[in-house]
Amino acid sequence: MINVKVARYLPEQSAAPFVQEFKVPYDASTSVLDALNYIKEELDPSLSFRWSCRMAICGSCGVMANGIPKLGCKVFLRDYEQGLLLEPLAHLPVERDLIVDMDAFLKHLEAVKPYLINNETTAVKSATTHQQTPAQLGKYKQFANCINCGLCYSACPQFGLNPEFLGPAAITLAHRYNLDSRDQGKAARMPLLNTAEGPWACTFVGFCSDVCPQQVDPAAAVNQSKVESAKDMLIQLFKGKL
Amino acid sequence: MSYKPVLTRTWWLKHRAFKAYMLREATVLPLLFFLLTLCCGIYALWQGPSQWQAWQITMKHPAVLAINSLALVASLYHAWTFFQLFPRVMPIRLGSKTLPAQVLIAGQWAGLVAVFVLFTWLFRGSL
Ligand code: SF4
Ligand code: FES
Repeated sequence: MINVKVARYLPEQSAAPFVQEFKVPYDASTSVLDALNYIKEELDPSLSFRWSCRMAICGSCGVMANGIPKLGCKVFLRDYEQGLLLEPLAHLPVERDLIVDMDAFLKHLEAVKPYLINNETTAVKSATTHQQTPAQLGKYKQFANCINCGLCYSACPQFGLNPEFLGPAAITLAHRYNLDSRDQGKAARMPLLNTAEGPWACTFVGFCSDVCPQQVDPAAAVNQSKVESAKDMLIQLFKGKL
Repeated sequence: MSYKPVLTRTWWLKHRAFKAYMLREATVLPLLFFLLTLCCGIYALWQGPSQWQAWQITMKHPAVLAINSLALVASLYHAWTFFQLFPRVMPIRLGSKTLPAQVLIAGQWAGLVAVFVLFTWLFRGSL
């Protein structure tokens, strides 16, 4: 048995969040998500949390486990024998129990135009296959592994202090498309990346990369974006547009 | 109906990674002191020989020496963290391969040693 403390928030019952403790049986393969499901099925059906794939690919089960952002399905009770406190992902508004409002995060993702942009006509598009060499793929592949779990936002104190900061995953996504040989949308993405809410708000704390369950290394992408942004500003300067 | 906990001033005390980050950023403090003494030195040089000698004596004061030694250690620590981050910010790609980070890190340390050797050689007589 492990003592699992869960931060609860039931707005219709009380305005303030509170902590509830549960005793959960476990073996070597019991994940934190299993524990939450056990609590919901056996102890308290009112508990709310998100999950879907239970195999670290849908990105919906993010929680703070003893203060560190984790995917519930990718961490195990056996590693928390001293006790476990589960809280909703940090830096986002909490709607209920472990459920956060991901709106700010999703808006930032959307803002960077995370899709292939090119000037080809529809006819050309359907006629070309857009082949890529392994070298061209290698340039952005790591950054394309993001599962939009939002853990990096909960790890980022800059996002915690300023929710307008585009944040690790969104900037990584912009960088991923900017590096894609099939894409021509860099000019359309740079103006946003050149603002104070872009990569320049990052101070390379680097914790986002530590917590990323997909080894995307968002901190690297954000700081590579600073280099791109600086280059872009220089080019604009020489073109007389600044 | 939602609530949002606000980040307290002590957010950085909550995790080892944040403390390491703050330590890295704090290395600028002893460095500021060193730069200040350096500026004073240039000013003293401009003021004349007696001021210059007074500055040299001040620089030998144990407290000044201690803070400046701290600045040296802090700068080396900062360099250590910086050298590790550099290959992630400016990865060097050769074809479809990325140059291993260790090579870039070793290269930067080699650069640092080269600068150190050069300056020791330049100032060999005056130390
Ligand atoms: S970069 Fe990593 S931590 Fe951030 S949303 Fe993507 S997968 Fe999650
Ligand atoms: S349930 Fe899908 S990532 Fe955990």
